[in-house]
Amino acid sequence: MAQYIIRRILIAIPVILGVTILNFFIINLAPGNPVDMYVNPSATPQQIAMEKHALGLDQPIIIQYFHWLGQLIQGNLGFSYSTREPVTSLITSHIGPTMLLMGISLIIGYLIAIPLGIISARKQNSWVDYLTTGFSFFGVSVPHFFLGLGVIYLFATKVLLFPTGGMNTLGGSGSFSDLFVHLILPVAVLSTGIAGNMIRYVRSSMLDVLGKDYLRTAKAKGLRQFIITNKHALRNALIPIITVIGIDIPMLIGGAIVTEQVFQWPGLGLLTIQSISSRDYSTLMGINLIAAIAVLLANLLTDIFYAVADPRIRYE
Amino acid sequence: MKHTGSVSNGKRILKYLLTSFLALSIGLLTACGSSSSSNSGSVSDTITMGMVNPPATFDPINAADIAGQFAGRLMFDTFLDQTAPLKFVPKLADSITTTDDQTYTIKLNPNAKWTDGKPVTADDVVFTFNLIANPKTETAVGSNISVLEGLTPTGKLPAGTASIPDLTKVDDHTVTFKTKKPVDPNYVKELIGTKIITLPQHILKDIAPQDLANSKYMQSPNVTDGPYKFVTYSKNAYIQYQANNSYYLGKPKTPKFFLKIMQAPNLASELQAGTIQMNAAGGIGIIPVQDYKTVKGLKNVKTITAPQIGYQTMMFNTKTIINPQVRLAFAQAINRQQIVSKLLQGNGQIVDGPYTSVSPYLDKNLPLIKYDPAQAKQMLKDAGWDFNKTVNLVVPIGNQVRQQSGDIIAQDLKAIGVKVNETTYDFPTIMQKGKAGQFDLLLIGFAGYVDPDQSAYYGPNGVYNFMKYDNPQSASLLQAGLNESNPAKRKIIYNQLQQIWDKDMPILTLYSDNQMIVVNNNIATGGASTFWPGTVYDFQKWAYKSGK
Repeated sequence: MAQYIIRRILIAIPVILGVTILNFFIINLAPGNPVDMYVNPSATPQQIAMEKHALGLDQPIIIQYFHWLGQLIQGNLGFSYSTREPVTSLITSHIGPTMLLMGISLIIGYLIAIPLGIISARKQNSWVDYLTTGFSFFGVSVPHFFLGLGVIYLFATKVLLFPTGGMNTLGGSGSFSDLFVHLILPVAVLSTGIAGNMIRYVRSSMLDVLGKDYLRTAKAKGLRQFIITNKHALRNALIPIITVIGIDIPMLIGGAIVTEQVFQWPGLGLLTIQSISSRDYSTLMGINLIAAIAVLLANLLTDIFYAVADPRIRYE
Repeated sequence: MKHTGSVSNGKRILKYLLTSFLALSIGLLTACGSSSSSNSGSVSDTITMGMVNPPATFDPINAADIAGQFAGRLMFDTFLDQTAPLKFVPKLADSITTTDDQTYTIKLNPNAKWTDGKPVTADDVVFTFNLIANPKTETAVGSNISVLEGLTPTGKLPAGTASIPDLTKVDDHTVTFKTKKPVDPNYVKELIGTKIITLPQHILKDIAPQDLANSKYMQSPNVTDGPYKFVTYSKNAYIQYQANNSYYLGKPKTPKFFLKIMQAPNLASELQAGTIQMNAAGGIGIIPVQDYKTVKGLKNVKTITAPQIGYQTMMFNTKTIINPQVRLAFAQAINRQQIVSKLLQGNGQIVDGPYTSVSPYLDKNLPLIKYDPAQAKQMLKDAGWDFNKTVNLVVPIGNQVRQQSGDIIAQDLKAIGVKVNETTYDFPTIMQKGKAGQFDLLLIGFAGYVDPDQSAYYGPNGVYNFMKYDNPQSASLLQAGLNESNPAKRKIIYNQLQQIWDKDMPILTLYSDNQMIVVNNNIATGGASTFWPGTVYDFQKWAYKSGK
């Protein structure tokens, strides 16, 4: 098992390096110069040159890349071009809200999806199944921005049940219950999408397994239906589910860009959009890198869980 | 045995799931109950204003963006404020006076104090001016002080000089400075009086000018002189302020102030929910036109729609569209009325040139360029326009109405037989394309000053003269306007200029959209001013109605 994990990690290193190269060069291909954004139009050419020099933008792009990589190895992601704050502190201050929002949404999404998916597969073509698949289609196909604006309209402006956005009441006490109230709408929107997606996989994977001979054998042995479904069938249906979880986990870091925008959630998604529109290359590269690492980590975890769920995978 | 173990295991999980669901739903219900009271009405010791653009910086001498300038004005004071066009009122300075239009005297309010208790003195003012003029300092207000003697046209000290000549501390609260030539006092009052922010010398004197923009102080200014003190900035979410209780113009009536940053479509819902009490207007908190009806219908707010100085334009590249007759023909082909009535739903005005109806310098006798596609087509034929030539129309994203107006313009031009290729870019790309002249027609908006000088746009070396417009007559009149200190005589000069620009047509003003100002009914004093620069005048008086 240890060897298996080490092999996976070693494969990840060149991938990260590749990501940094692509990340850096694609971002620098964009037209427009960050200095134009931050220096006043009335600045003299000397000032612009000075500014470019200060940001290291007067160097050839290859040199810029290696300089950036060198700093990166020392744990320094550079300074934000726009606010001049260290990128590391910008990212750390935004990653908490995103992980909180996404973590809760993922957990609630799965808590809804997995039982519903199993029931839906067990009672295929019943009204429960139709209702569940209907909900699933709704969750997958309704865009988050639309659902977000919809619930804001209904529950924050028509009926004043919840706040329209943000993470806490400005000028309020900043208590836990305040945070909780602010979480409800965005979590509802996000977990609907996550659950909608997950239900489909759980259902189809369970349907696949439920038809297998060994389940009939289990039933013939006189096992209770509950055990058959939740132990024998579910475990065998886990591989596709783990894959979907593996794809979902990077969202913990990458955030939900659209939902964070709609609900003004001060997370990484919002930071990403702002950095793009203000040509804040250094911040953007930092976020991309963190997101890439999150994807690789999630892949690694997925591989490990595959091996746990299905021991055959370990020996291949 | 094995099986029974699994059964109890499965049951345990089920039980756990059930209880957690139950707990969660109870939590939800109680939360709903408590939230309705805390969120519908706002906390009355807090005013929250909604704005769309996050500030780029808090550096008061380097904020080029309106959001950054506005966010700074809660904690820093300028010498004067402008509450109505050319109506100046005292702030940090009791007065800015001159007897010869060339030597100016700033008299500081003797009670003004920094938040650390030290007085704001003439030394601070001299320090700030010299800091702005230092070639190593990054600043956005260099051109504002470029009229001062001894400075380059960008407001910098030439190499070899260390400080601005004739900038003198007379006593602790009096500073005098001299301009190169006599200047309209209103120009000095607006561009220096209401734009230059004095910095605390005792805090910043040891920071090298080149490091100032990146300094800790500029990210969280801890010693300031305005009505509110900086508390924190949660990036892209909100800026938090608290009252400066020893403010020299009176203790602020509301202890906490927030600028909340959000997407423009959220402004309406936040106003309705009461989580913001007002919008910032002024180009940084504009309610989208499509929300006007909704917002006007809200029962908890009052709304005012007011014209503004800012306006949207279409620039002609005079190097690629050389013939002024062609440019005039294009101008006549564009149905500006349709833009105002359809896209702005009537909430805007059509003007020619750089002055809107708010400006005292608009020549109202000048006839408006009429929409006349038939004549426009004839003019193009007469001018020998090549109808096979494709015109590049470059449109920035970000302002939805402007983007849609690009489509109308393209259609109008196609209607008279002109081939148009419309492309959209983000703002940094637009700036680059503008400077490089990579466009035939370019849509761009300007915030504008009340002072009539337009050198930045129409001057041959103007930083926004992407049109590469160069008419010697216009250039010399612009210079004459700057050098003339008598407002009445200046008006005559700018009237002449408006006539020239109408004929040369280097840039077509498309429209000036009205701004909607929204304030919650519970607010007694406060909210954006119908004349945007006046908004910052009396933050310390902003308050809720008593009992709310």
